[in-house]
Amino acid sequence: MQETGTIRLFKRGPTAELRLFVLALLAVALLVVDGRWSVLQPARQALSVALYPFQRLMLAPRDAVEHFNDWKDAASLARSEKEALQRQRIELAQISTHAAQLATENEQLRRLLRVADEVTQPSVAVEVLYEPPNAFSHHLIFNKGSSSGIKPGMPLIDEGGIVGQIVRVTPFTSEAALLTDDKVSIPVQVLRNGLRLIAFGGNVSGKVEVRYLTANVDLVPGDTLITSGIGGLFPAGLSVATVDSVARDPATGFALAEATPLSHPERHRHFLVLLVDVSTQDLHQEGLSHVAQDGQ
Amino acid sequence: MLRKMDNSTRAPATRRTASSLSSLEPIDASPFKRPSSGLFIWFTIVLTWLISLLPWRLWQPAPDLLLLVIAFWCLNEPQRVSMVTAFIFGLLMDVHDSTLLGGHALVYTLAAYGAVALQPRLRHFNSVIQAIHMLPVFVLADSIGRLLYAWTAGEWAGWQWLWSPVFMAVLWPLVDILLHMPQRRLDDGDAGAV
Repeated sequence: MQETGTIRLFKRGPTAELRLFVLALLAVALLVVDGRWSVLQPARQALSVALYPFQRLMLAPRDAVEHFNDWKDAASLARSEKEALQRQRIELAQISTHAAQLATENEQLRRLLRVADEVTQPSVAVEVLYEPPNAFSHHLIFNKGSSSGIKPGMPLIDEGGIVGQIVRVTPFTSEAALLTDDKVSIPVQVLRNGLRLIAFGGNVSGKVEVRYLTANVDLVPGDTLITSGIGGLFPAGLSVATVDSVARDPATGFALAEATPLSHPERHRHFLVLLVDVSTQDLHQEGLSHVAQDGQ
Repeated sequence: MLRKMDNSTRAPATRRTASSLSSLEPIDASPFKRPSSGLFIWFTIVLTWLISLLPWRLWQPAPDLLLLVIAFWCLNEPQRVSMVTAFIFGLLMDVHDSTLLGGHALVYTLAAYGAVALQPRLRHFNSVIQAIHMLPVFVLADSIGRLLYAWTAGEWAGWQWLWSPVFMAVLWPLVDILLHMPQRRLDDGDAGAV
């Protein structure tokens, strides 16, 4: 009893300075390694899985309130939605007849030309879990991950078109870089004339830029940009953005167009991840891991 | 364990002498010597960590409550909460914010070291003086973190974050009142008994 009760005259263990040195060195080493290579990915995934129940627990009140609000407004929402849908149905009726006619015609032509039919894309619906607090990048975290078949590189869409691209996946969550993130680029095509271009996340927040245009490019404000399908990741024909302005710079001989995305990642909670085949895109994934890390 | 036994043996002794010698006793003899319970310390840290998972930190000048609480315990209970705790919780925040691993960990470790280094001097001061001393610690730790962040991202995030350490220093006395509340209540109880 007496021995255990003796007063310790000297501090045991390493000094505070030594601890600081070791821990700070470890932190800087982690920063450098995580910034350059993806060897820490398993550790991050393990921590993320451990974090997930706590994140869900803390966000549960918010989800409950949203659920309650949805339930409360369900009647009025259904009514207004019904009216909108009715109006839309009338508007779409003639278009659909026209489209059906075109589809049959197209099918016939395809058969004549022996072009393979387009396959329909399998997809997974995801819900926004939270938005990481980050000054530089526009990312969102979703509530489904590799256990639902999501992989880095898969495109994310809403009813307006392309929203972004999955850049990092853990078993239960996935992280997407939005279209407006300045590290994302998408091969696009002008709907009006089929011109192939590349759209980049803009320097102006909430905008998309089309760069490296020749000064005489046939692009006018109001043009719609759709995915061209080149590169293999984004399926062709999804709408991306509408062109706002085209700035022609006579000094360099190049033009730069600014466009507004047609999707609205800030408005909704639910999105669709298209399960495209990304297994063969090793080179691209390498680039994506850079997107995930540089975006911080 | 040892400390607890000390308390239990001392308590009846003071009560016995209180009747005759209470006038000789200094008014504030024991209150701040009694350590906070380990359970309470970890409860407050985990609670603030859980609160930090909520989206209010999207606002850049928001104070980092988790760092504030960890630094507070590093200053007041250096035996229980150390730089290693700060480092581990920093890593957890890095994963939650999906930033580079080690960013928050470094800032938390630096701030915790500041608190540990200032501990012998600040222990006996009141919370306002402590807050004034901790302000430069928070600013320094945060700015080192921001510099590394700017280096890895290739961009400077502006100056808005400087409000964050200021808010943390302003909140320090409040945190002091809140986290020392269990002890204060005990002291009041003692005073009433005497």
